[in-house]
Amino acid sequence: MKKTLEFPADTASLSKIGDLIVEACRSVGFNEEEIGDIQLSVDEACTNTIIHGLGQDPDRNFRLDILSETGEIEIVIYERGSPFDTLEVKQPNSDAPLEERSVGGLGIYFIMNLMDEVEYRTDDEGTKIFRMLKRKRQDEVRTK
Amino acid sequence: MNITEAFQENVIIVSLDGRFDANTSDAVEQFLRVRISESKFQFVLDMANVPYISSAGLRVILAVVKELRRDNKGDLRIANLQKTVAKVFEISGLNNVLGIFKNPDSAIQSFTD
Repeated sequence: MKKTLEFPADTASLSKIGDLIVEACRSVGFNEEEIGDIQLSVDEACTNTIIHGLGQDPDRNFRLDILSETGEIEIVIYERGSPFDTLEVKQPNSDAPLEERSVGGLGIYFIMNLMDEVEYRTDDEGTKIFRMLKRKRQDEVRTK
Repeated sequence: MNITEAFQENVIIVSLDGRFDANTSDAVEQFLRVRISESKFQFVLDMANVPYISSAGLRVILAVVKELRRDNKGDLRIANLQKTVAKVFEISGLNNVLGIFKNPDSAIQSFTD
């Protein structure tokens, strides 16, 4: 099943997106922990699009495709905004003292760790495409 | 996001109700910073009714804790994390530098220990 939706570049969109993702994940049969992982990853990617890509301009929109199939969910964000450097993934240093901790780059770190596939590219027309995919663990698919 | 507060001795218990994301994190930060400007330095953040947190929420908690611990002014301690929210603290690695407690009472108690 595929859903294509448009949202304004407004952080108020995040809660609605979260609800849609949870609903789609439930239809695939992900467990609550996996649903939390996917919801967080999509929220972080959409937050980046809204704030950094589109400058929180509610007159600008981005497109979200949600493809739910047997055993997996794929989410694709399309936006025509500023470039977004996905290579800036910083591993949190769990041994560092508090003063040296930073949350910068943590969103991308979450996505890279929690999703099975992450792809970022710009198409010929300059649209930035951020694609993520998560599969149910194999043992869960079999017992379904 | 609904923010309420209660007072116990010198500790302010701030209860959040709703998603703690990029849309609500500014309101939480603003609320805490107003209290800090009034020289309140001991906080317990009760997150029993927070079903979701993103890095935007973590950023506010980290910034406020850094500010409060500077010159040993005080601290913000966290209580009542839901399971999926606790996992986000763990993946971020912030769980081992923040004071995280099972319930508000033990978090309040920790200020007098």
